[in-house]
Amino acid sequence: MLDFSAWFNDLLAGNLIFTPTTLGYYWEGLVTTTQLVFLALLAGLILAVPLAIMRSSKHKWISLPVYLYTYVFRGTPLLIQLYIIYYGVVFVDGIQQTFLWPILREAFYPALIAFTLNTAAYTTEIFRGAIKATAQGEIEAARAYGMSPRLMMRRIILPSAFRRALPAYGNEVIFMLHASAIASVVTLMDLTGAARFVYARFYAPFEAFLFVAAIYLCLTFAILYFFRYLEKKLLAHLRPQTA
Amino acid sequence: MLDLQGYGPRLIEGAGVTIQLAVLSLILAIVLGLLTASAKMSRNWLFRRTATVYTTLIRGIPDLVLMMLLFFGGQIGVNAISDILYYNYDIDIYINFNAFAAGVLTIGFIFGAYMGETFRGAFMAVENGQIEAGKAYGMSDGLVFRRIRFPQMMRHALPGLSNNWMVLLKTTALVSVIGLTDMVRVAAEASRATHEPFTFLLPVAAVYLLIASVSEWIFSRLQKRYDIGFGEQ
Amino acid sequence: MAATPTPLEVRNIKKRFGDTEVLKGLSLEAQKGDVITLIGASGSGKSTFLRCMNLLEQPDDGDLIVHGEPIRFKTTKHGREPEDWKQVVRMRAKLSMVFQSFNLWAHMTLLENIIEAPIHVLKKPKKEALEHAHALLERVGLSARANAYPAQMSGGQQQRGAIARALAMDPEVMLFDEPTSALDPELVGDVLKVMHGLAEEGRTMVVVTHEMSFARDVSSQVIYLHQGLVEEAGPPSEVLGNPTSPRLKQFLAPKY
Repeated sequence: MLDFSAWFNDLLAGNLIFTPTTLGYYWEGLVTTTQLVFLALLAGLILAVPLAIMRSSKHKWISLPVYLYTYVFRGTPLLIQLYIIYYGVVFVDGIQQTFLWPILREAFYPALIAFTLNTAAYTTEIFRGAIKATAQGEIEAARAYGMSPRLMMRRIILPSAFRRALPAYGNEVIFMLHASAIASVVTLMDLTGAARFVYARFYAPFEAFLFVAAIYLCLTFAILYFFRYLEKKLLAHLRPQTA
Repeated sequence: MLDLQGYGPRLIEGAGVTIQLAVLSLILAIVLGLLTASAKMSRNWLFRRTATVYTTLIRGIPDLVLMMLLFFGGQIGVNAISDILYYNYDIDIYINFNAFAAGVLTIGFIFGAYMGETFRGAFMAVENGQIEAGKAYGMSDGLVFRRIRFPQMMRHALPGLSNNWMVLLKTTALVSVIGLTDMVRVAAEASRATHEPFTFLLPVAAVYLLIASVSEWIFSRLQKRYDIGFGEQ
Repeated sequence: MAATPTPLEVRNIKKRFGDTEVLKGLSLEAQKGDVITLIGASGSGKSTFLRCMNLLEQPDDGDLIVHGEPIRFKTTKHGREPEDWKQVVRMRAKLSMVFQSFNLWAHMTLLENIIEAPIHVLKKPKKEALEHAHALLERVGLSARANAYPAQMSGGQQQRGAIARALAMDPEVMLFDEPTSALDPELVGDVLKVMHGLAEEGRTMVVVTHEMSFARDVSSQVIYLHQGLVEEAGPPSEVLGNPTSPRLKQFLAPKY
């Protein structure tokens, strides 16, 4: 352990920018980014499943409101959505007196809400596309075996739709990671926030931003390989058999 | 009626900035995308490699980080050049690294990578027989590209192109963060000053939706035009 | 004899794809008015041979002389290539090809297909190109379909349109790559009739085909290819009427 810290200090010796302190900022930024993205994706996913089912409904009065929601959230910049929620929360009169204030006061939660609503909209459309692409024959077979619509959705349509949606959802996860960089705009110290801080402190844009770009690149590749692995496992049945 | 508290003209100006930025970036992105697609399909190893590195890097790094790198780094780079000019050649100029130019360059550069993928797929979707017929009738490579490959490719490229444009349009909002006065920045400033965020941010959101809807209509018209001769009559 | 140069002369063409040598040294000479038919089983190399004649495939060896002008080749790390692509472009404009799958340009109407190369390659005035195109459409019986897109026409119509497109170039030699193989049997006759007429008016043609009746009735020379080599060649009365090679006999035997 001592050896390591000595080696580490040697490594950083003579380096004015990447000191243990600034690396600490980057580390905290990484934690914030990961938490924010992970929680938003999780909540977005939970919201998206029922929304996608509603969006696929034959009844206009069920599908239309969901369509409006996805249209608005996919048609406007995430930054605007973040501003509306962040400023909306901060400037709305009376909110400071409610029990919600201690939570909402921190930029983390408005950002989390904005990201969740945004990714839920995209994910809903991804799932809807996958549900729509279910082979008609499979549905007919389920009907022929006397499955109720509910059972059919749960046992036949959704399981195959999730698998079909996997590649597109993988892209959405990467998109969310990259989009989360704007959290730094509302004073959050995420990865990009750390980079902006280091830049402002040392006026060293190349070091500050190239370093953080490298971290994002690694995270992106990690997500990419994770989804490739998932696809391999879950979509194995779709590949032609090789002897 | 909507009371914009005197911010109206600046918002309209900001909307102008957004649209100019988006259109210029789109043009740059299409040019870069065509170059990237050609490089990726080239026989030259170095071209293929460079294009792959470019698209991989761009797709691995957030737009905002790239934008800050280019914008903040660009100013330092420009300063360094003017320093060299001053000390070595006694030329004293101060070049202000323009936020608008930085925005166009970064967004064009980012979406060039995505366009490259779109165009590559579209070029590969053109049937080889169509190209061969051109060659067999004595068309030069340039003529084959202009008269056959490009018009037929566009049919396959348009859905991707339309999608990239929609994302690009929304990405322009990020330039407000590096100091460009687009409509998002004006709206954010007005929100902070007046404590009425909805009055400014909701109309701006509506403008984005409007631009998106108009573009969708234009793209569907274009698609009809390039679909001529394919599929059912 | 030296007055008019030979329209097309190919000597000792060799071509390999990976480890398989598909053409093992093939030659052919088309004099003005010749109709040369290439026959052979699939995989005999007849289509590849034809595609080497206008360099859609690059031969690994051999000479190509179009209208007395030899094509110059050079060797690069990608293999043997024409030295001057401009020369190739010029040469191709003299040899127009009719493809098995028609390859009419899908985004243009039939009329636009026909005037495309004359205007942009031969630099003909548009008016002249249009007049010529209408005459050709009349000739192949497609005047009514001038403004149709390829996807709106039957296979037989598309192929006749493609022949009109080839004729619009006033070619020295017409190359036909199995022009009737992709057609429904009842549409083959119309296309063959058009080709028959072309032979009668003295067009120089090289035709890859499975239509033995065409080979017998129309061609001046029949070449039977087997595994990249000429197995038998000569006038149809000899090659088809009196085959000597057992393989050709088997190839020609009626398949009940």
